[in-house]
Amino acid sequence: MLIHWEVSDVYNDVLKDFLKKAFEKGLIEAVIAPAATDNSYTYALVTKKEDVDKLTPIAPVMQWNGADMIRRITRLKPAKRKTLAILRPCETRTYKELIKFNQINPENFYLLTYDCPGTIHARNYAYEQTPVDDLIKSMKEGKISEKVRESCRVCEYPTPIKGVGDIGFGIIGVDEPVFFSLSERGKDFLAKMEIQEGERDDSSWVEMHRKNREKWLEEKRITGGRKGIEKFLAQCMNCHNCKDMCPICFCKECFFEDHSVFDYESEKFYNWADDKNGIRLPTDKTLFHIGRLIHMGTSCIGCGLCQQACPVDIPLYRLFGIVGNDLQKVFDYKPGVNDDLPPVMEFREEEFEEFVGLKGGEE
Amino acid sequence: MSEKEFEPVIVGFFCNWCTSAAADLAGTSRLHYPANIRPIRVMCSSTVDPVYLIRALQEGADATILGGCHPGDCHYISGNYKARRRVVIVKTVLKSLGFDEDRVLLEWISGSEGPKFARVMNEYTEYIKKKGPSDFKYVDSLGGE
Repeated sequence: MLIHWEVSDVYNDVLKDFLKKAFEKGLIEAVIAPAATDNSYTYALVTKKEDVDKLTPIAPVMQWNGADMIRRITRLKPAKRKTLAILRPCETRTYKELIKFNQINPENFYLLTYDCPGTIHARNYAYEQTPVDDLIKSMKEGKISEKVRESCRVCEYPTPIKGVGDIGFGIIGVDEPVFFSLSERGKDFLAKMEIQEGERDDSSWVEMHRKNREKWLEEKRITGGRKGIEKFLAQCMNCHNCKDMCPICFCKECFFEDHSVFDYESEKFYNWADDKNGIRLPTDKTLFHIGRLIHMGTSCIGCGLCQQACPVDIPLYRLFGIVGNDLQKVFDYKPGVNDDLPPVMEFREEEFEEFVGLKGGEE
Repeated sequence: MSEKEFEPVIVGFFCNWCTSAAADLAGTSRLHYPANIRPIRVMCSSTVDPVYLIRALQEGADATILGGCHPGDCHYISGNYKARRRVVIVKTVLKSLGFDEDRVLLEWISGSEGPKFARVMNEYTEYIKKKGPSDFKYVDSLGGE
């Protein structure tokens, strides 16, 4: 059996030492970070210093969105123990976005985030187990590894952002990894840890991703209306996995599931079939995706878990990411990077006149 | 026999306090507006989940209208502002995917604007007649071109 967490991995060791020291100093009482399974990685919550060695803070796979895990923990009551969560930059942005939606209670939580080398598709990893060292090596050489997921290659913010999360862990462009603070709490935390804050330059790594993103937004767009979307979703089997994995789709009761909106008497189906020259079953497959876009598109973080969760390999991030990008542009909103409220949570009295009426608000 | 002229089906979601009252006023003032409009009275324009607009298009409507109170006049203080943002989202999504976003219309018509109601309905029906039938209803069906 391959025991990959034994692979000597300097960055994970540094982080584990950091965690142990924080435990010793009494700064934290629990940690949320990935831990290896037989052929993948899941998130784990540990509350003892001895258990820290079982963790792999920087994992090559993202099976779940870590912010979604924190949401599950703090949904009913805030955490009583001081917890440090080690999350990727995209998960940190999700965390921030979910706080705005009142889904996460940030009390007692500290967030550590790092320069992300990208993650491998969970299924590919099960077949070919690539240690995270390979990804980090390629990141240090200034190349985005061929193995990482599409959404990681076109990530808009692959590194920690000031104000999002508490502590940053820099890998790019430095021989020795550095810690730096992203918030006042983080500054305080590092001071108590007696760690000197360091600096590093991540601009080329970010630039590289943004260039990929520009190209991707142009090339992979789904166009052509009905035919375009039907072709794109041709294989969709309506399993709703994309919705289940989406950290922004947090509603307990989904519009598209167990909802009387979609219960019809049998005659209705026959009438549709008359009217539309035959209908596909189950009905409302495309409506589900368009509806989901309308409900969560403005806050799409870009973690790409919809695409990873798709059992028939539809590149769903091209749908949610690109349309989401269009929506976010219209509202001039970037989910999770600052304190602006999500577009669906606020309004202004004078805006979007051009969307009213046929002639765009002119009377 | 000459070919029948295309008669669009337009579903209107009209706010109880303004646009529905305007529809009443247009009726009692004997103003003509086309029978293509199928009005649905809702308590507020913001109670219409944007998916219902899409749903109407998929069920066979050629266009949908969401009618609400003028900004600042909402019976529930801010419902129409929220409705406006939702329509912005629907239109952007439709446009982004290559659908015709003009098949969703948002209009502010107050209770005293019976003539405006009749004019908007006439103009929009003419506009959709020129555009022709919507192919959105054939999404997930075997029909269509």
